[in-house]
Amino acid sequence: MSTRAPDPGILSLLRDRIDAAPRACTYAEARFVGRRFEQVRVRNGEADAVDTGDSEGVGVRVRAEGRWGFAATREVTAAAIEEALDHALQIARAGPASPRAAEPLAPPSAEPSRGHWGSACELDPFTVSVEEKLALLLGAEEILRTDRRISRGSAESHAMRETWALATTDGVACTQVRTECGGGLQALATDGELIQTRSYPAAHGGDVALAGWEHVLGLDLLGAAGRVRDEALELLTAPPCPSGRRTVILGGEQMALQVHESIGHALELDRILLGEAAYAGASWVAPRDIGTLRYGSRELNITADATLPGALGSAAWDDEGVPAARTLLIEDGVLRATLADRTSAAQLGLPASTGCSRAEGFARQPIVRMTNVSIEPGQAGTLDDLIAATEDGLLLETNQSWSIDDRRLHFQFGCETAREIRGGKLGRLYRDPSYAGITPMFWAGLDAVCSAPAWRVWGVMNCGKGEPGQMLPVGHGTAPARFTDVEVGVA
Amino acid sequence: MTDALELAERALAHTDGQALARVVAERSLSLRFARSAATQSTAIDDLDVEIMVLRDGHAGVAATNHVDDAGLRDAARRAADAAAVAAAHAAAAGPYPSPPPGTISEGLVGWDPATAALDPGEGAAAIEAAIRESTRHDQEAFGIWSSGEVTHAIASSAGARLVDRVTDSYMKVITRDARERSGFAAATDMTVGAIDGAALARTAAAKVGPEEPVDLPPGTYTAVLDTEAVGELLSFTAALAFDGLGYAEGRGALTGRLGEQVAAPAVTLLDDPRGPGTLLRTFDADGVAKGPVPLLAHGVAKGVVHDIRSAARAGGDAVSTGHAIAPGGSPEGPLASNLVLAAGDAADVAELCAPIERGIYVTRLWYTNTVREREALVTSMTRDGTFLIEDGRITRPIRDVRITDGLLRILSAVEALGSRQRLVGHGEFYGRRFAHGVLCPAIRVADVRVTGGA
Repeated sequence: MSTRAPDPGILSLLRDRIDAAPRACTYAEARFVGRRFEQVRVRNGEADAVDTGDSEGVGVRVRAEGRWGFAATREVTAAAIEEALDHALQIARAGPASPRAAEPLAPPSAEPSRGHWGSACELDPFTVSVEEKLALLLGAEEILRTDRRISRGSAESHAMRETWALATTDGVACTQVRTECGGGLQALATDGELIQTRSYPAAHGGDVALAGWEHVLGLDLLGAAGRVRDEALELLTAPPCPSGRRTVILGGEQMALQVHESIGHALELDRILLGEAAYAGASWVAPRDIGTLRYGSRELNITADATLPGALGSAAWDDEGVPAARTLLIEDGVLRATLADRTSAAQLGLPASTGCSRAEGFARQPIVRMTNVSIEPGQAGTLDDLIAATEDGLLLETNQSWSIDDRRLHFQFGCETAREIRGGKLGRLYRDPSYAGITPMFWAGLDAVCSAPAWRVWGVMNCGKGEPGQMLPVGHGTAPARFTDVEVGVA
Repeated sequence: MTDALELAERALAHTDGQALARVVAERSLSLRFARSAATQSTAIDDLDVEIMVLRDGHAGVAATNHVDDAGLRDAARRAADAAAVAAAHAAAAGPYPSPPPGTISEGLVGWDPATAALDPGEGAAAIEAAIRESTRHDQEAFGIWSSGEVTHAIASSAGARLVDRVTDSYMKVITRDARERSGFAAATDMTVGAIDGAALARTAAAKVGPEEPVDLPPGTYTAVLDTEAVGELLSFTAALAFDGLGYAEGRGALTGRLGEQVAAPAVTLLDDPRGPGTLLRTFDADGVAKGPVPLLAHGVAKGVVHDIRSAARAGGDAVSTGHAIAPGGSPEGPLASNLVLAAGDAADVAELCAPIERGIYVTRLWYTNTVREREALVTSMTRDGTFLIEDGRITRPIRDVRITDGLLRILSAVEALGSRQRLVGHGEFYGRRFAHGVLCPAIRVADVRVTGGA
């Protein structure tokens, strides 16, 4: 376990400065974030990049005269934090006058959050040598390129440790350490005309978890490489996926993106309340829908759970000091709750935040973000069971492209592969599959979700939101699931 | 602000052999608003020190925001270790024989003192003006005002001492009525004085009319794409067609097509980091001087952009064109970030619409993403002001539609271009602030493929 707390002097420093915050601040918080990262990437037999970095600083957020101000400094000193406090107060006061009175913040928790938490990490990725990482990645990547039609093989690993401390004027004083680690590989096959891609275990950089190097070892990149290569080559001779309305089974990784884009973002309360309308967008869900809206079929059960072990969106507290919790968002297809921070919860008159306030690093302010938004396991057994129970359809796996409108209503996604299903058996392979849908109609067609043994958590590293932009990692627990009457082949 | 060049020199002093240190220091202020009220205000004062060490032509790069000697020394050691590892696992020497030849320059051509002041009062005044204007139209205002000063400094073992200090200001206004109809306008400039909140709100509000939107069935339509939509598509073209790494790896849409007619004869496109109306830049992340690079001349593919890494991979006579976005080159490839699409002769959007019997007018595109890289096939949704064109005039709003089409196909179907260019900026700034944009006019395009709607 790696649960090293940040230097205790840092939390004291934050508390001292917050205790001395000007009286004009109705609320103030100071958040220290120290980060260390390493990315190792191999490409066509060479070490393409060994990128390392570290950073630290303090972000200070205040509320004054009903407006927010945030200032960040990389200097972790009393003078610099005090200066940031003054700056945050200055820009809060300078903001345009509001036509409406500001609501108070929802309370952080019954008792102010205190203490320290560290994520599980059996093998500290920063003590595993770069040479050892390269040996694994180069070994797997070499297997990809044992056929000359693989024009580019690549493999990568990612490690990040974040040390965090938070103090607020309502008594929060806590620290945590999170370690992320993961990786994956990708084969690019070409016959001179077509280019086809196959990734493992997920596209867009592989699969990352809140874990140590043991997560990368558990992916068995060496064992998977031959299959990845063969599937990339098979795609070169596969016909394009035919278009039409079909029954589809989405693999677990694609389900993660489907949940992320068409449920997770749509249920962010700041979007529902129009706070993000100028950039990320609003939502097709309205405040009055909470508790009554039929989001999908009765098979649809969705949770937000920041307590999930090993999931990228897990922590003991969010960036406002609200303790991690599990919230049922959709129950038997009906919308029950949303993702909220203290501001949006108060705006809607909710009794409390759902602990979804997160920020990227020290130089961005917390906003409403997903933690781990998951579809709960169903009763359809294994993926093989679900295929066997499907007379005519397609199995779509591994995300390749994604796009959705600003209300999270109309989406179009592409996958790396499609396999025909006939009479309960897998058939021919198709390349370049895509599908499109309207969110509530698509989820209304959900008729089966695989059972708990087929359920696992996926890490999504590139969730973007906010201005200035913030990229945050989130987790999604999913199992393969089946949808009826889906529009396939639109691209 | 820390003296960026002095810091780059201190970082370089912790390296041995061939090396380069780059400092990117950001001061910025962003004020967001929604429903005609302030929501978030963010002030950033931070920097990155990136140290690149070369071993046998292989680059190792490490980054830090620690500016004391211990932090810089540690980053230099990590960079040296990374370079040594890369060299040890390579079959041949790498693409970096040395940092670019030493030059000394200090650029302030893209810098404005009033913008660098980051005055929150100026931002608040612009927002209040936008809110007043939108209220006058019975609409609510949403958006952001953001200004920044970013200093790039490079010191290298080859003697380079480079400083480029730039400012930028960006404002976006979306206005929205009670029926959830919305309009959009945005402005980007080197100087904050060019940002007019009231004018932006007026433009946005004018796109929200009393008519109910209608549904548009999938099909192909002649489209007038306003500047924001054109800028979005050209930004994707930069990544899918003009990226020298993708070109060299056979993934690019122009692979094997240089010299061919790939766009309509009316289309002339270059990357011009020193041209009038752009956000001026003097050198890239490797310290290579920037200059104009022809990409399409009257529709003929003329070139792609390179950094040192992609040029080495391309071989032949390819050289860096000054488009590295990270020291040593990003694994994602170089980026043309100052695209300029030559203007045409249509006086305005109305003139572009005039010959269209039935088509669509698109204010902006949203969530564009690549479907198939080699074909430069992308998909995107319209947003904040999409209209039907009937009998040569913009008539009724339509509900947002999805467009899925090839970027080179779109460029090959350009029928006319507007005579006025606008700088379409990218104001989201994931990571370190990197103001860039596309200078372009509105265009008319035949047979744009609409594949669905919301």
